[in-house]
Amino acid sequence: MEDQAQHTVTGGGKKAIPVPSAKNHPLVDAEEPNLVENTFPYDLPPLIHFENGVTEVIDGRPVTFDFPAVKDRNILITDTTFRDGQQARPPYTVDQMVRIFDLIGRLSGPNGVIRQTEFFLYTKNDREALDRCRALGRKYPECTGWIRAVKGDFRLVREAGLKETGMLTSSSDYHIFHKLNFKSRAECMDSYCEVVDAAFEAGVRPRCHFEDITRADIDGFVLPFAERLARMSEQVPDELTVKIRLCDTMGFGLPFPGVRLPRSIPKLIWKLNQEIGFPSDRLEWHGHNDFHKVNVNGTAAWLYGCDFVNTTLFGFGERTGNPPMSGAVFDYIALKGDLCGLDTTAITELADYMRSIGLPIPDNYPFAGRAFNTTRAGIHAGGLRRDERIYNIFDTGTLLDRPPRVAITDKSGADGTALWVNEFFGLKGPDRISKIKCARLARWVLDQYEVEGRLTAISDQEMEAKTRELLPDHWARYKSS
Amino acid sequence: MATVKERVIAVTAKVLKIDAGEIGMDSSFAEDLGAESVQSIELVAMFEEEFGIEMDEDEALAVETVATAIAFIAAVCREQGVEIEE
Repeated sequence: MEDQAQHTVTGGGKKAIPVPSAKNHPLVDAEEPNLVENTFPYDLPPLIHFENGVTEVIDGRPVTFDFPAVKDRNILITDTTFRDGQQARPPYTVDQMVRIFDLIGRLSGPNGVIRQTEFFLYTKNDREALDRCRALGRKYPECTGWIRAVKGDFRLVREAGLKETGMLTSSSDYHIFHKLNFKSRAECMDSYCEVVDAAFEAGVRPRCHFEDITRADIDGFVLPFAERLARMSEQVPDELTVKIRLCDTMGFGLPFPGVRLPRSIPKLIWKLNQEIGFPSDRLEWHGHNDFHKVNVNGTAAWLYGCDFVNTTLFGFGERTGNPPMSGAVFDYIALKGDLCGLDTTAITELADYMRSIGLPIPDNYPFAGRAFNTTRAGIHAGGLRRDERIYNIFDTGTLLDRPPRVAITDKSGADGTALWVNEFFGLKGPDRISKIKCARLARWVLDQYEVEGRLTAISDQEMEAKTRELLPDHWARYKSS
Repeated sequence: MATVKERVIAVTAKVLKIDAGEIGMDSSFAEDLGAESVQSIELVAMFEEEFGIEMDEDEALAVETVATAIAFIAAVCREQGVEIEE
C-alpha cells in the first residue's frame, strides 16, 4: 500500500508546507514523439500558457492577479528609442530617425502593437525629425513628446501639434530633494500639478513619468500624488486624463510576489490601479536593465496590470538600457498566441540598419545578434541537420528571415560542415547534400586546426572559396548562374 | 582486378594512415583502427569513389567492422550493377 502520509516541501529550509502524498509516475511509453506543440508551435515563438493567476499579499490581504486574462486585454508596446534610447548615444541624424521610425511602423503592423513613440522637442533637428516621421503617413506608432516639467515647454508641444507628452515628475526623495532641490514634498507636488494644469489648459494629455518610483516613498509621496492626479483628471475629458509611467529608473524593480515596496512591481501596479483607481490603459512600465531584469520586468508589468510597456530598439538606453522592443514583441506574441499583425522580419532589418550606422549589437544578442541562432558544436549541428527544431528556438527563417546557422570551427565536424554547405546552397529536404559528399571540406576544416594550428573561426568567405574548390560539381549546379 | 576485401583494406590503410597489415577482418574502424568522426566520413567517401557507387549515409556510417564493410559494399555494388571481384 502506498504511503498516504502528508509530504512537505520547504522553502529555504524553514517553513514546511504540507502537500498531498507523492504520486506514482509510471513511464508513458510511446513510439511517436510528443513534441509539446501546443506550447512550441514552431511557426510562432513558444507560447506562454497560464493555468492560474498569482496571489500576492498586499496590506495583509490576499490579492489575486488574473494572469490568464492578459490574452484578452489590450496590452501594447510603446517606444522611447528617440528619447531614452538617444540619451545613451550621439544623436541620430534626421534621416536615420525617419528610417528607424518607418521600420518600427512596419514592425508595429496594422493593429499598432507598437502604439506610440516619443520625441524630444527642443532642437530644430528634433522638430524636423518629428515632422518628417509624421509626413510618412503611418497610423502607428503615434508620435508623442517629452518635455521637462516646466510650464513654458507646453508651447513646444502645442506648436508641434502633439496630443500627448511625457513630463518628468520624479517621485523618489533622491530626486525630489537631491536632484531637483525642492524644499519639501508638498512644494514638489504643487509644482508638478501646476504643470499638469498647464497641460490641460494647452489641450495636451500629460503622461507623468514617475521617475525613480522603485526607490520612492510609496505611501508618503507616490500614492498621494497619484491620488491628486486622479482627482484632477476627473475634471477633464477622457482624452486628456493623466497617464502614469512607472519609471524603474535604476532597475531596482522586482517581479516576484512577496517583495516589499518600493521594489515590488505587483504591489506598485496594484496600488495605482486598484487603490487609487488608475485604469490599466493609463499605466505604463518603463524599466532599466541594471540588474538584468529589464525584459521580464516589462512582461510582468503587463501581467500585473499595466497595459503599456515602454521599450527601445535593442535595449539601447541610459546606462544598461531599457526593455528591448524585440523581447517585448516576442513575449507579446507568446502571451497572445498570435502575431497580431506584427511584422517581425522588420527586427532583422532594424538590426542591420543599426549596425550600418555604427550601433553595435552583440553577436549573441537574442533575436538580432549575428550569431543568435548560430550553433558551433558539431553535435548540435548534427541535430540541426536532421531537424532544425532541435536547436532552433522557433522558425527564425520565417519570423526573422534568419534561418539557423552553424559557425565553422574545430568543433563543427562533418555535420556542421554539411549544414553550412546546404545552407549556403539553399538546399532543403531530399536535395540536401550528404555529409559524405562534404568529406573533403570537413577534412580541410579539421586540418586548419590540427595541422595549421588555427585558433579562429573560419569565415563564410573562406568557406565559400573552399566549397567552390572542393565541391566544383555542386558549385556549377547551384551557383554558376 | 583486386578483390573487394583487398580494395577495402587498401582504402582503409590510406585514409587512416596505417599499415595494411594491421587491418583484420574483425577490426572495428573506430575502436581498433582509431577512426575519428571525420575519418569515418572520409572512409565512406573514399569507398564511394573507389567503387563508383553511392551509399546511403546512415546505413554506411552504421557499419562498424571491416568484414561488414566488405559485405555492405559488395551488396551495394551488386544493387547498382557495378562489377566487382569477390
